[in-house]
Amino acid sequence: MRIVLDETRCSSLGLCEAVAPDLFEVGDDGALRILDDNPGQQRRGLVLDAIQACPTGALSLQE
Amino acid sequence: MTVLDASGQTRADRPYDPADLSSHAFWRSTAVEREQTFARLRADRPVSWHVPVEDMLMEDPNDQGFWAVTRHADLVECTKRHDDFLSGEGIVMESIPQELLDAGQGFIAMDPPRHTKVRRLLSSAFTPKQIGRINDQIEANARRVVDDIARLGEVDFVHTVARLLPMHNICDMLGIAPKDREHLAHEAQYAGGWNDPELMGDDDPLTRMGESAINIAVLAQKNLDDRRAHPGTDLLSALVAAEVDGEKLSDAEITSFFALLTVAGNDTTRQSLSHGVRALTDFPDQKAWLMADLEARMPSAVEEMVRWASPIMTFRRTAARDCELSGAQITAGDKVVMFYASANWDTEVFDHPERLDLSRSPNPHVSFGGGGIHHCLGNQLARRQISALWRQLLTRLPDLEAVGAPDLAVSTFFHGVNHQTVRFTPEGSS
Repeated sequence: MRIVLDETRCSSLGLCEAVAPDLFEVGDDGALRILDDNPGQQRRGLVLDAIQACPTGALSLQE
Repeated sequence: MTVLDASGQTRADRPYDPADLSSHAFWRSTAVEREQTFARLRADRPVSWHVPVEDMLMEDPNDQGFWAVTRHADLVECTKRHDDFLSGEGIVMESIPQELLDAGQGFIAMDPPRHTKVRRLLSSAFTPKQIGRINDQIEANARRVVDDIARLGEVDFVHTVARLLPMHNICDMLGIAPKDREHLAHEAQYAGGWNDPELMGDDDPLTRMGESAINIAVLAQKNLDDRRAHPGTDLLSALVAAEVDGEKLSDAEITSFFALLTVAGNDTTRQSLSHGVRALTDFPDQKAWLMADLEARMPSAVEEMVRWASPIMTFRRTAARDCELSGAQITAGDKVVMFYASANWDTEVFDHPERLDLSRSPNPHVSFGGGGIHHCLGNQLARRQISALWRQLLTRLPDLEAVGAPDLAVSTFFHGVNHQTVRFTPEGSS
């Protein structure tokens, strides 16, 4: 699985980062960086929570 | 021009729903009373067409009414369809002159693509990391506010606590001098307070709103000039230095963001704190539950307090094109109003919404918005402030409780509390 970011949708609110701070980081320039786009199946639940938390639907999971 | 919708009706011919969401009497009543109307609409007519709000701020011959979106699912859908439902023509139920929209609503009333760029610029000041960096400051402000009341035993909670904490935090972020803060917080109230007799007195609403926009702009300009000469680490300094598409933001744009942040920063968390103190008094078992394990239970408690307060009751959109929402045929140009308090009480989503349940999980309340591009920028700041304050209050003044009914503000926008007396055993008296 791989976490995919649609930069045109991202508003850099950081709700994903609030859920999983070791996977997502909004930098001081306001751009979201995915720190680990393939964190492994055992963290799938957390990844789904972070994707779900995004208000603009900018994150998705590619199997 | 005659505008026909898909059912062949003109907007002027469209029959109005009999439920009253438009009168002064409706907005002067309480949330519990309003909920009776919302519950009927959610059950039978979830997207319904209503007569214009009573006593509009200005004559608007195009204003023939508004659609009311009352269900949680429909509110979320409406929020996400930002191409169909625009913010650029105003975000409150009432029609407002364009100059005032420009002055006060900042990027909240912007649409993509400019919204996306400007919003990202401001987001960088509100990320979890940035808010984490100022957490000590938020905690210190909460401590200071409670220090100042701790020995008094009885105070107006709104005036001495709920109003001051968000004011200091947003002003710290913007770098506003202490002497200017009370003035700024007071002026911010006019952005949504035009129906409130206590706030307005004998002032003409539209005139006073205009004055408030000017007063805020004057203070913004003073601070802008100062930051250009002496850049600091505050948000205004960052806005002065920032560029969008290779161009600096104009003073008018920065002033408008300043006004938006001032209003959104002051008048929302204030309501969550004020309704929260009443709720914890009315549900003592919930207060006891929270106090039994304060740190672990605070996150879910904060979410429920924010749901309970529904600090902003409505946001408006304007239909960009003829379209459908939950079976309703909407015509280009129609006002579409989302009712957040109603969505937060939707029994399709919330089990016993009338009960304060600090352990509620999941809690998909819409108090920060129904998702989408306008989702509350300050949500992390709000959450931190609410938890910081309750941590102080529940450890230092554990028997603090609301006394008497809250004195509610009258507004179609803010779910405001003007006064709420609280009583407690003074700190250090035992």
